[in-house]
Amino acid sequence: MGLAERVIKPNILRGFGLYTALAGIAWCALFPILWAVSGSLKDEGEVTTPTLFPAHPQWSNYREVFALMPFWRMFFNSVLYAGCVSVGQVFFCSLAGYAFARLRFRGRDTLFVLYLGTLMVPLTVTVIPQFMLMRVAGLTDTPWAMIVPGLFGSAFGTYLMRQFFQTIPAELEEAAILDGCSPWQIYWRILLPHAKPAVMVLAVLTWFNVWNDFLWPLLMIQRSSIATLTLGLVRMQGEYVARWPVLMAASMLILLPLLLVYGIAQRAFIRGIAVTGLGG
Amino acid sequence: MASVTFEQATRRYPGADRPAVDHLDLSVDDSEFVVLVGPSGCGKTTSLRMVAGLETVDAGCIRIGARDVTDVEPKDRDVAMVFQNYALYPHMTVAQNMGFALKIAGLPKAEIRDRTLDAARLLDLEPYLARKPKDLSGGQRQRVAMGRAIVRRPQVFLMDEPLSNLDAKLRVQTRNQIAQLQRRLGTTTVYVTHDQVEAMTMGDRVAVLRDGVLQQCAAPRELYRNPANMFVAEFIGTPAMNLFTLPVINHSVSLGDWRVRLSREITDAAGEIDVGIRPEHFEIGGRGVEMQIDVVEELGADAYLYGRVTGPDNTFGQPIVVRADGHDPPLHGSRVRLHPQRGHLHFFGVDGHRLP
Amino acid sequence: MTTIDGLAAAVTRRRKFSKRRARAGRMFVAPNLAAVAVFMVFPLGFSLYMSFQNWDLFRPAKFVGLANYRSLFTGDPLFSIALRNSVVYTVGTVVPTVLISLAVAGVLNRKIKGINFFRTIVFLPLAVSSVVMAVVWQFVFNTNNGLLNIMLGWIGIGPIPWLVDPKWAMASLCMVSIWRSVPFATVILLAAMQGVPDTLYEAARLDGAGELRQFVSITVPLIRAAVSFVVVISIIHAFQAFDLVYVLTGRNGGPETATYVLGIMLFQHAFAFLEFGYASALAWVMFAILLVLTVVQLRLARRRTAQEERSWA
Repeated sequence: MGLAERVIKPNILRGFGLYTALAGIAWCALFPILWAVSGSLKDEGEVTTPTLFPAHPQWSNYREVFALMPFWRMFFNSVLYAGCVSVGQVFFCSLAGYAFARLRFRGRDTLFVLYLGTLMVPLTVTVIPQFMLMRVAGLTDTPWAMIVPGLFGSAFGTYLMRQFFQTIPAELEEAAILDGCSPWQIYWRILLPHAKPAVMVLAVLTWFNVWNDFLWPLLMIQRSSIATLTLGLVRMQGEYVARWPVLMAASMLILLPLLLVYGIAQRAFIRGIAVTGLGG
Repeated sequence: MASVTFEQATRRYPGADRPAVDHLDLSVDDSEFVVLVGPSGCGKTTSLRMVAGLETVDAGCIRIGARDVTDVEPKDRDVAMVFQNYALYPHMTVAQNMGFALKIAGLPKAEIRDRTLDAARLLDLEPYLARKPKDLSGGQRQRVAMGRAIVRRPQVFLMDEPLSNLDAKLRVQTRNQIAQLQRRLGTTTVYVTHDQVEAMTMGDRVAVLRDGVLQQCAAPRELYRNPANMFVAEFIGTPAMNLFTLPVINHSVSLGDWRVRLSREITDAAGEIDVGIRPEHFEIGGRGVEMQIDVVEELGADAYLYGRVTGPDNTFGQPIVVRADGHDPPLHGSRVRLHPQRGHLHFFGVDGHRLP
Repeated sequence: MTTIDGLAAAVTRRRKFSKRRARAGRMFVAPNLAAVAVFMVFPLGFSLYMSFQNWDLFRPAKFVGLANYRSLFTGDPLFSIALRNSVVYTVGTVVPTVLISLAVAGVLNRKIKGINFFRTIVFLPLAVSSVVMAVVWQFVFNTNNGLLNIMLGWIGIGPIPWLVDPKWAMASLCMVSIWRSVPFATVILLAAMQGVPDTLYEAARLDGAGELRQFVSITVPLIRAAVSFVVVISIIHAFQAFDLVYVLTGRNGGPETATYVLGIMLFQHAFAFLEFGYASALAWVMFAILLVLTVVQLRLARRRTAQEERSWA
């Protein structure tokens, strides 16, 4: 019939163009990272040459990172802070989000408008007083300074969870009420398990935020023993200026755990964005 | 205006065990209104989309007029489609929705305006031209979807269950309007629905599909009177035709204690045949099948009796439905004798096909 | 029990029921509310209060009224530099980001084989922190052996002093900022694009629209709300940029203050010069500017409402 031949030509051309475009975009997204990987495997001399692939991969650069900064200590700190805050955020924000979405109490709606207002407040305005607060409370240079501010949730997280809970049909809750559940039980046994996409989004966003935070650790932390990886990297940058191979190696080491988390969470995260209506 | 022909058209989705549309041979004549009808999954929408070019054709071909359009882009086929959910562009006004295709085709503004106004007048949409879809009722949106198709003056109209989102009353009203419109414009139309009443009242011919295979394509009257197989017999007509599987004994079959002699050709075919009688083809009283009435449905002018056939020794057999006069229907729980009208018996073989 | 008793009992039950829920509601909100109050509302008020003082943390604060604000606008040449730089940076980031991510999301909005692989790659920079990004890009921008100059060398263009020359420093900063913002914007826009029903595209195909036409006439108008959102968030983020600028071009705002943005200025005055009052005033000025911008944008967006998204039929 000649059907197959006639159909293939325009499709192949179109497909080719599409994949070229995709490859181009992927290259733009990846090239700095690839370059950093390549740089991390070169030695001091070779790093000045314009080659993409190192002649002899110097894995020793990576080992040196561990010598130059307390990597595992900082890694542990970053995980600790990010983990604690993520858990706290998810729990308290979803609790509050449920309350705002479904439980009626006096002043609820005005309170929520207030919450929305704080969303607009830029970081720069609050950072100085927060600094003062921590100082006055004597928490500077302690792990608490990294954990306490975010532990009980934020306005953004509550906003996210509320939006999500509003999309869950009321019948679900009503059935639970008829079955005799208290509000806490409804939250814990029914709504929270149902809220996986939104929880994923909040948890991942929070984790990344805390892990990657720079300004706050910069202000709060002096001792290396409680410093985060980001802080560690910048200190290294300051101390070992232009020692590119080691700096790149350190960057990659810091990046790796995040990429792992990202790889695992990615699909759920993106679905969560659509579901919570973050995209307007 | 042109004809539409399916020649052995086949569509198989990857991973499916049977084709969605299986070697369909169907031709729609110029200016004809053909309805594709069948249960969900029968392939009617897929067939329609094949004509539109929205579905790839795995084997066979599609012709519009004499032209083989199987590989032609949708926009070059000169067909217009009314989608089930209308697919109106939400950010455009009614007028813009209707004029979009013309704008792309590069028609001069004056002509676009004229054609849009004509179509709007035809469909009573003039007061709504500046509104957006969100400000229209379901029925109005449906008309805009039709207007969008009419404006293009295509060779073929394709309609995918356009009435299924309307409430019952509006549906009846609109289906008459569509039929009248088509007669007036004379455009070849292929119409898909799952509602056999719609099919029967609107189509010049009706094609019944099942599991991707064409069962029968004929005028509504023909389908009603001479269904080609059991599926068509059961599908067309409400309530459905009564079908009884009966053993052939001595060149005759028995239903309860009523026997009917059959011609030699039929009885030589098999030891068992299926006999079909529509509920409206029984006379109450006289000699015939006895029935125990379980439920009486009173619909005003008609009443439908649902019950079971009583056999010898008072055994209860097959379920049966009978139409009775709504004035004074028999009571529920009583028994009546039913006399099947001779000329309205249908016989089907074991394979489901009609026996002459 | 008479009907009246029954009715009264029912009403009491209902009242008890809603009281219980209200109490639960208040308790559930309480910890979160406390955090927001302590870490958001209080700082908001306190920083306003501080902006009217001179305070360096060691000596007691001194009330100076509007003096801080006055010197910001009249006496501080660095403020206008920082403001100008911030505006350039914001526009130079947000505009390309929106345009590029629209295109990228459009390309990614397909169901072809391997599309998930490409999506994962494009969203990858989201996982990279500003700090790591800055360190890595420093290497990419390196005048002598950075990747960019190497690639330019292939096509015969001489090495560009990306981070050293004041003329190029801001451009370099914007490039990194765009590289970082596009994935975020693409995620949002892609999610919005996927909300557009397929039947609209089918109808457009039948109406004769080609790919580009479909994108321009259907996809883009229907994701207007998401685009708005991206623009607002990006502006807010870019205007306050600190992390990236600090690590990429240093704590003093780059070569000859080429990248001296408001975020850096704030940090300097607060934590280097310990002028907390002055820094707070600066913070409030930034806040005011952002507030005005956001309100204006929201008004504009509301006028062409996103209501149409609710009625697809």
